[in-house]
Amino acid sequence: MAPAAALLPGNLDLVILKAISLGDVHGYGVLLRIEQISGGAILVQQGVLYPALYRLEHKGLIAGRWATSANNRRARYYRLTALGRRQFAHEQGAWQRLVDAIARSLTATPQEI
Amino acid sequence: MLGPPDWLSVAGLLARARSVYRALFHRAALEQEMREEFRHHLAERAETLVREGLTPDAAHARARREFGHEGTHREQAREALGLESFAQLRFSWLDVKVGLRMLRKHPMLNLAAVFALAVGIPVGLAPSHLARALEAPLPGDAADRLRAIRHWDPLSSAVAPTWDGEFTFWAQTLRSFSSLGAFRTSSYNVASVDGRAAPAAGAQLSSSVFQMLRARPLLGRVLEEADFVAGAPDVVVIGHGLWSSRFGQDPRVLGRSVRIGRNLHVVVGVMPDGFAFPTNEALWLPLRLTSVGGMQERVRVQVLGRLADGVSAQQAEAELSSQGPPPLNSPSGAGSVNDAGERARLRAEVVPFGLLYLGLPAGGLAGLPEFRYVQALMFVLMLVACGNVAMLVFARTATRLREFAIRTALGASRGRIVSQIFVETLLLAVIAAGVGVLVFNWALDHVNLAGLAGESALPYWLSLGLTRETALSALAFAAVSATVAGVLPAIVITGRGIAQNIRGGSRVRFGRLTGALVVADIAVSVAAVGMAFAVSGHATDLQAADRATGIPASEYLAVEFRLPEGASTSADARADDGAPDPLRVQLAAAQRELVARLDREPGVRRVAVGDVLPRMEHRSRPYELDGVERVADAPLRWTRLARVDVDFFDALGTPILSGRDFVRTDAEEGSRVAIVNTAFVERALEDQDPIGRRVRFPNTGNAAWYEIVGVVGPLGVNVLNADRGEAVYLPAALGTINPMQLAVHTVVPPAALTGRVRELAMAVDPDLVMGKASVLSDVRQGDWYLVMGLAAGLVVLVGVLIALATSGLYAMLSLSVSERTREIGIRAALGASRGGLLLTILKRSLVQIGLGAVIGLPIAARSVFELTGTPDGAGSVAQSMAVALGLATGIVLLVGLSSCLVPARRILGIEAREAMHADG
Repeated sequence: MAPAAALLPGNLDLVILKAISLGDVHGYGVLLRIEQISGGAILVQQGVLYPALYRLEHKGLIAGRWATSANNRRARYYRLTALGRRQFAHEQGAWQRLVDAIARSLTATPQEI
Repeated sequence: MLGPPDWLSVAGLLARARSVYRALFHRAALEQEMREEFRHHLAERAETLVREGLTPDAAHARARREFGHEGTHREQAREALGLESFAQLRFSWLDVKVGLRMLRKHPMLNLAAVFALAVGIPVGLAPSHLARALEAPLPGDAADRLRAIRHWDPLSSAVAPTWDGEFTFWAQTLRSFSSLGAFRTSSYNVASVDGRAAPAAGAQLSSSVFQMLRARPLLGRVLEEADFVAGAPDVVVIGHGLWSSRFGQDPRVLGRSVRIGRNLHVVVGVMPDGFAFPTNEALWLPLRLTSVGGMQERVRVQVLGRLADGVSAQQAEAELSSQGPPPLNSPSGAGSVNDAGERARLRAEVVPFGLLYLGLPAGGLAGLPEFRYVQALMFVLMLVACGNVAMLVFARTATRLREFAIRTALGASRGRIVSQIFVETLLLAVIAAGVGVLVFNWALDHVNLAGLAGESALPYWLSLGLTRETALSALAFAAVSATVAGVLPAIVITGRGIAQNIRGGSRVRFGRLTGALVVADIAVSVAAVGMAFAVSGHATDLQAADRATGIPASEYLAVEFRLPEGASTSADARADDGAPDPLRVQLAAAQRELVARLDREPGVRRVAVGDVLPRMEHRSRPYELDGVERVADAPLRWTRLARVDVDFFDALGTPILSGRDFVRTDAEEGSRVAIVNTAFVERALEDQDPIGRRVRFPNTGNAAWYEIVGVVGPLGVNVLNADRGEAVYLPAALGTINPMQLAVHTVVPPAALTGRVRELAMAVDPDLVMGKASVLSDVRQGDWYLVMGLAAGLVVLVGVLIALATSGLYAMLSLSVSERTREIGIRAALGASRGGLLLTILKRSLVQIGLGAVIGLPIAARSVFELTGTPDGAGSVAQSMAVALGLATGIVLLVGLSSCLVPARRILGIEAREAMHADG
């Protein structure tokens, strides 16, 4: 398991969108999927998950529907909407640019000044 | 949080709207889904923990601990859905309780606010209420399937005649109506049990009308098919009022013969109280139409129909339009090419019955630009009332700053406080709306609206009482008022910092807007009282009216006579086989004999006969002048038109100012002469010599030119504005004016001759029905009622605005004194004079009152000068000016004293020692 990483404020939505983009998933499944794809580094607090899901659904980035889970329970599954896919692509690009910029900054040498 | 403005996209906005809608209107379902989702989450987590080795109970417990409080999750979820702002606006019964307490705490302020809204809300509602009442279904027509069919003349914007032939044609051809009926109204001399005859309004109905109205008799029966067969006995159905007044509600009235005019009619039925179709008729006779097999005398009728099942009024009108007019020279058709040309211009319409009666366009009152203007004006007045109430609410709310600050510190949001103030104001507005509507309803029941409109009674089907739609509209208006008057001040008041309010270190300032409202109230009051005085003075100026009339109207008795059961005038009806019209013959004989007998009567000087008299409403017609080029498509000019006996001007003692008077031969068939008045010469001919010029009246079925042979004075065509009363007089042969108006010039008080005139008329011809009789100086044109109504409205407006200005000033001054008590005490202790103290506090209010008066006085003075100035000189103008200025000064003093007196006494009563302990 990777060392634990703290989510920067504002990045939870991005991570959730990524998790949902990999396939329809219910709320608890989002938690598990984020833990899985982050190698255990990101553990989302349960108290912030559902407000984030409802916020994303309110904005039209994800859409929910009721279905039966693998455990034969009635669950609400979320999928990414077209608007969500566009927004995610945009955010992912912005995040990548930020990460590259920070990485470049952190590896700067005195010769580059 | 995601960065770019995704909510700007249409998809994002739609998603948000759907989400809010679901959260607001399907909240229970949303909450249920949340619970179910959380249950699933907990179940899945517990299962995971069980797989990790916990017992089921321990797993569930730990899952719950990790998840946290479910209520908190739901609250956060609601926040995420943007519902917090809506949650803050929730209402509770506590708000209502607090609202009631506030009503008791500031009684004077609240009374002023209730008064303002109790006037403003009904005023705002009145136009739409009236429009709905006029288009309401007839009694007994709950499904609203009855409609009138009429012709509308777009050129004159008036109803055009409908003839019996057209009714017959429609009855045979229209499929949109399951039944059609025709009717016409007249007055009849009805003999009482004691043999004395008196006029009664009645109607002739075709056979289907009673069935269409679904009217059931109180006694006997209604008219049946057998009553309409040629040669059937003459029968009559009488109304409840007639049965009571003439027959003493005798249950044996059925089968009795009653003399109506010359003929005996058998009473076959009595209608119940409240039935008076079509307006206020008291008896009903069969309408026997004979327009079959060749042209007969044309009879003017009105048409009523019941729409067929599933057919709308619009569909019926479409069928009517697609049919066109009846073919020429058919039993149903128009009689001449001129008629056909004129009829082609007319538009056949299917309208609610009320529009037929009032002659309104198809859109009803709402179709009149003037009505929309009035509606907007009334709505603005309501908003003005709301604005003033907002000022009062602002003052009332300003005394509670510390309360709001403490509540805010305890967790109440701004939205919550604003919503509470909204509920308090809504309570005020609902009470005011209720009071206003109830008073309005009471006034409708107790004020003689018909009398104000110059009528004997309102139509029986016109119900102006409170309806469900009006009550709901009043509530809606109350909500709008509460929003304007409560929410806006509340938002301003609650925009201040908490700490500031708790310390009480600053005061509420009444801004420029409130000051402007007070100034505007006083300015409009002063201007309005001057206008009301000027308007009503002008309308009641007897001297001016007499000048415009040209004759001493107080010496004339104006009486109407008509012969029923015939065409209205000889210009409208003719017998195509060339035989004299029997009605015309009868009327000519009656007119000749009646005038002769009246001339011989002691106390009578002369009798003038015309279709209209000076001071009465003259009908208007478009005209053309010979020799004046008319631009194509340019609108025609209009003039008043009157048809008069050849002795008319001589009998009135009116001098012929130029040319000559009518002579007997001018009334013969084929003669085409006219006399015009001075206003016509001035406005139509631009003061050129009119003698020999020719005038005609296109679009009236008469293309003949009339040669102008004489000029007379204004003759009361427009009493309020003689210069705009142009008129053309045409000579009428004996028996061609029906109804005819007689002006009986008396040497005794005219009203004293009324009974004698009736006796003479009955002796001449029992069929001759005498209508309204009044002294000519008491006759009012429609404009007079409009003007007096305007003056009354202005007086009410003045009263409302004075009350609002007074209460607003009082509120502001009281608050100011309360807040500055310590300051006043300190100044007093330091030796400030009482006058100086008063001036300090009252200065602003006195300036506002003075400014309002300065703005309003010139407008009031101008109104007085324009409307009461006379050619005789400045004396009367100065007098009127003095009265108007005196009234305006009175307003200023009234407002000033009322609003400032109590606060001034409080200021003078403040002791320095007490003031030091005051909070302000």
